[in-house]
Amino acid sequence: MFKLRDLSINFLGLTLENPFILSASPSTDELEMVVRGLESGWAGVILKTTSVEENPVPLKYPMMSSFGNYYRRVIGLGNIDLISKHHIDEIEKRVKILKEKFPEKMIAASIMGSKKEDWQNLVFRLRKANVDLIECSFSCPQGSMGEAPGKMLAQSISATEKVTGWVKEAAENTPVLIKITPQVTDIVEVAKAVKKGGADGITASNTIPSLLGINIYTFEPYPSVFGVSSYSGLSGNAIKPITLRTIAEIKRSVDIVISGNGGAYSSRDAIEIMLVGASNVQFCTLPMVYGFRVIEELKSGLSHYLDEMNLKSPLEIVGKSLEKIKSNEELPLIEVKANIDKDKCIGCDLCFISCNDGGHMAIEIKENRIPEVNIEKCVGCALCMQVCPVDAISMKEKMDEKEVIFNRR
Amino acid sequence: MSDLKGNNILEKMMHEAERCLFCFDAPCEKNCPINLPISNFIHMIRNKNFYGAYEKVRESHPMINIAGFICPEEILCQKECIRSKIDSPVKIRELHNFLTLNFVKNQNLSLSPYKYEDVAIVGGGPASLSCTFFLRTLGYKTHIFTEEDIGGIPFTEISNDRLQKEIVKKDIDFIKDNFIYELNIEKVKSIEGLKKDFKAIFIGIGLGDETKLEIPGIDKDGVFYARKILRDLKNGKEISLGNRIGVIGGGNVAFDVANSLKNRFKEKEVFIIYRRGLKDLKCYPEELERAKNLGVNFYFQSSPIEISGDKKVEGLKVSQVSLKESEREKRRSFELIDKSEFIIPLDNIVVAVGQEIEDGIFPEIEKEDGLIKIDENYMTNLEGVFAGGDCINGGQTVTKAASEGKIAAFKIDEFLRRSK
Ligand SMILES: Cc1cc2nc3c(=O)[nH]c(=O)nc-3n(C[C@H](O)[C@H](O)[C@H](O)COP(=O)(O)OP(=O)(O)OC[C@H]3O[C@@H](n4cnc5c(N)ncnc54)[C@H](O)[C@@H]3O)c2cc1C
Ligand SMILES: Cc1cc2nc3c(=O)[nH]c(=O)nc-3n(C[C@H](O)[C@H](O)[C@H](O)COP(=O)(O)O)c2cc1C
Ligand code: SF4
Ligand code: SF4
Ligand code: SF4
Repeated sequence: MFKLRDLSINFLGLTLENPFILSASPSTDELEMVVRGLESGWAGVILKTTSVEENPVPLKYPMMSSFGNYYRRVIGLGNIDLISKHHIDEIEKRVKILKEKFPEKMIAASIMGSKKEDWQNLVFRLRKANVDLIECSFSCPQGSMGEAPGKMLAQSISATEKVTGWVKEAAENTPVLIKITPQVTDIVEVAKAVKKGGADGITASNTIPSLLGINIYTFEPYPSVFGVSSYSGLSGNAIKPITLRTIAEIKRSVDIVISGNGGAYSSRDAIEIMLVGASNVQFCTLPMVYGFRVIEELKSGLSHYLDEMNLKSPLEIVGKSLEKIKSNEELPLIEVKANIDKDKCIGCDLCFISCNDGGHMAIEIKENRIPEVNIEKCVGCALCMQVCPVDAISMKEKMDEKEVIFNRR
Repeated sequence: MSDLKGNNILEKMMHEAERCLFCFDAPCEKNCPINLPISNFIHMIRNKNFYGAYEKVRESHPMINIAGFICPEEILCQKECIRSKIDSPVKIRELHNFLTLNFVKNQNLSLSPYKYEDVAIVGGGPASLSCTFFLRTLGYKTHIFTEEDIGGIPFTEISNDRLQKEIVKKDIDFIKDNFIYELNIEKVKSIEGLKKDFKAIFIGIGLGDETKLEIPGIDKDGVFYARKILRDLKNGKEISLGNRIGVIGGGNVAFDVANSLKNRFKEKEVFIIYRRGLKDLKCYPEELERAKNLGVNFYFQSSPIEISGDKKVEGLKVSQVSLKESEREKRRSFELIDKSEFIIPLDNIVVAVGQEIEDGIFPEIEKEDGLIKIDENYMTNLEGVFAGGDCINGGQTVTKAASEGKIAAFKIDEFLRRSK
């Protein structure tokens, strides 16, 4: 009944109907699931990482665990998955089938190898199958297929540049994305190496090495595989802030196309990821948890956002926040005071206790439990604003007679 | 009644706990008569520290098992819950009931050795048991004198439909095993007698009598008093009743008896006959709901005039009344309407028009408005004699009685220290 905006974008020469892509994950490891995903409206898919290994990797189960609260069960998801169950022979066939069935969608595949001929062989075979794009996983935290076993390929600057070169040499005109890890000392150096190696873009980024939790009664880490476990790759909304930083840092220093990935749960999250420099956004945990149907919210949310902002194309927002990201020294010294909207306030006094024990003892409780900011004592740290359950608190910021309001929207 | 067993109860309660905002200086706590540390115990549930949460509620409320089932939370703690300003109040009673049903752990109970003198406690209901509980934690030896075994109204009268005896036993056994120095099952006739042996005495005798209805025909066969019936029901005694039963009154006791009878004898017709209107009822909202669901029916604005019948009840003559909003009183005032009388055909009448302190009890103790009079220190006119519960407040809730017993315990402690 209501029509959506045109959300299509150009991405490395490919036309995508919207900027939302299913990333390499269990959701993209079965043909039937991929078909359903694409039918439900996702613009493209990256098939789960495959390789040339003759013997299928022995996957360990249970593979996942998570943390969250009782309202949102999965805030962070950890997995000890490895690469696809399927060999390149099978992936090759699938690319062909999918390309025929969905000529308008982006059909990409993800690969991982160790020797030069493996990487290049994978690329040749995918090109023959008419793949739209190749993503190289340099960052599976569980795998040990990088240069040095146990390490991720993207943790070595020189290996990143070298292997990227091999891949691009074989890929020729087929676009190549290198999927990196945020778990490095200097993400900018890695991005530079990717660029030098000749890749078309970066997928920033993959899951983050983590240990999801411990059963305090049995001492077993999660997910417990008959009493023991290993480190997990952390994904989901919990890692969004890290993704934002990773992308922003790269984009501010290196001129390269970025496919954003890591922690997006909503159209708003996706918009934020694009605002710091991603041209599109990949999703894994969200559709894994709730199903492909979440594409509805993503498309409609982005469409309404473009309406509100009076923009034509989603690409107009890419990187729009970058110039607003500064170093701490560059930030202005201003006058800030907390401001409480008494009509919204429900009198829980959480702002009082947090300011009293964790802020600057600047909130007083007046009649009927209504808090009041002591302007003398308030330094404007904004702790109270974080704890208010009804967003009744905003920060009044003042510089050179100009006043702006900082609140949660 | 709570349904806190079965599938997904843990998950249900965790969702509920998550709704609590953990307010500072939480108003729910101020509106709990015994100031249960609500925000704190819910915070513990949220963090899955169930045993810690259990200990918190166990140490704060001597009747916590009972309260978990019958405390009228809608008019107490939950009425002030801040969460209602967002959606609906947190289900506080259900949360502590969930703890006492599922996470009992008393092994770390640690009471200091007795260090102070003996105190006499007259009565064995919630007020007295609570006073005992807190006096013991302070180090006093408590000697209970009670007419019947301990438990009070929750054990003897409140209908099994709402409160099972096993639940009451959880609270009373915990107190019996740990907090009572000496238990004497005997009726106390005179306080003066006790004063010889005890420097401090607490009286929690409740309301022993039921208010008589003084209308012609009240002595006919088939007229009963409510609490007597409730007692018989609670003890599983046979009672023989006709098909149409009228309950006169509009308070909790009237509803408890009407609901219990209707629930027990589904084929009989049960009526609440009340002088005022629906909005003037003094019962808990939940009880009114239960009455409606069970199929109890109502005669409002009907004031009893006379019981008709030969030797046995055949009906109740009532007069219609008109109601007026009153400036001074919360409830409306009423006036009989001339020539509006009619007869409700009934086989039995149950009177539930109020409760009073036992006639003539403890003449040495000053009364006011029919209740034991106390000062701000919960002390009666007799030095060292304190009181709490229904006998001073006219009948409220178990939690209120327990809270008065608790405050009195601290006042007794103060008094005994000062008089040293
Ligand atoms: C039918 C009914 C339903 C109720 N429903 C609820 C409810 O749903 N929720 C709620 O919170 N409250 C309810 N109440 C109120 C609650 O039961 C009382 O407020 C509470 O029991 C009062 O405690 P108490 O210790 O003051 O008195 P009681 O419970 O009456 O205990 C008095 C004790 O004193 C003993 N005693 C009396 N005289 C003497 C004497 N001379 N010597 C020695 N011992 C003596 C008695 O044997 C008894 O053990 C209800 C009350 C009734 C009658
Ligand atoms: C169970 C699971 C398996 C995954 N397998 C792969 C994989 O084979 N190759 C790959 O590049 N990324 C893989 N990922 C990482 C995701 O593609 C994605 O980069 C990551 O989950 C972060 O995005 P998200 O927060 O939207 O989930 C996997 C993630 C999960 C949860
Ligand atoms: S935290 Fe928000 S709602 Fe609570 S008292 Fe402060 S301003 Fe009011
Ligand atoms: S005892 Fe009653 S008032 Fe207190 S928390 Fe429990 S239900 Fe609420
Ligand atoms: S008032 Fe309600 S929300 Fe606040 S602490 Fe009490 S139960 Fe929780």
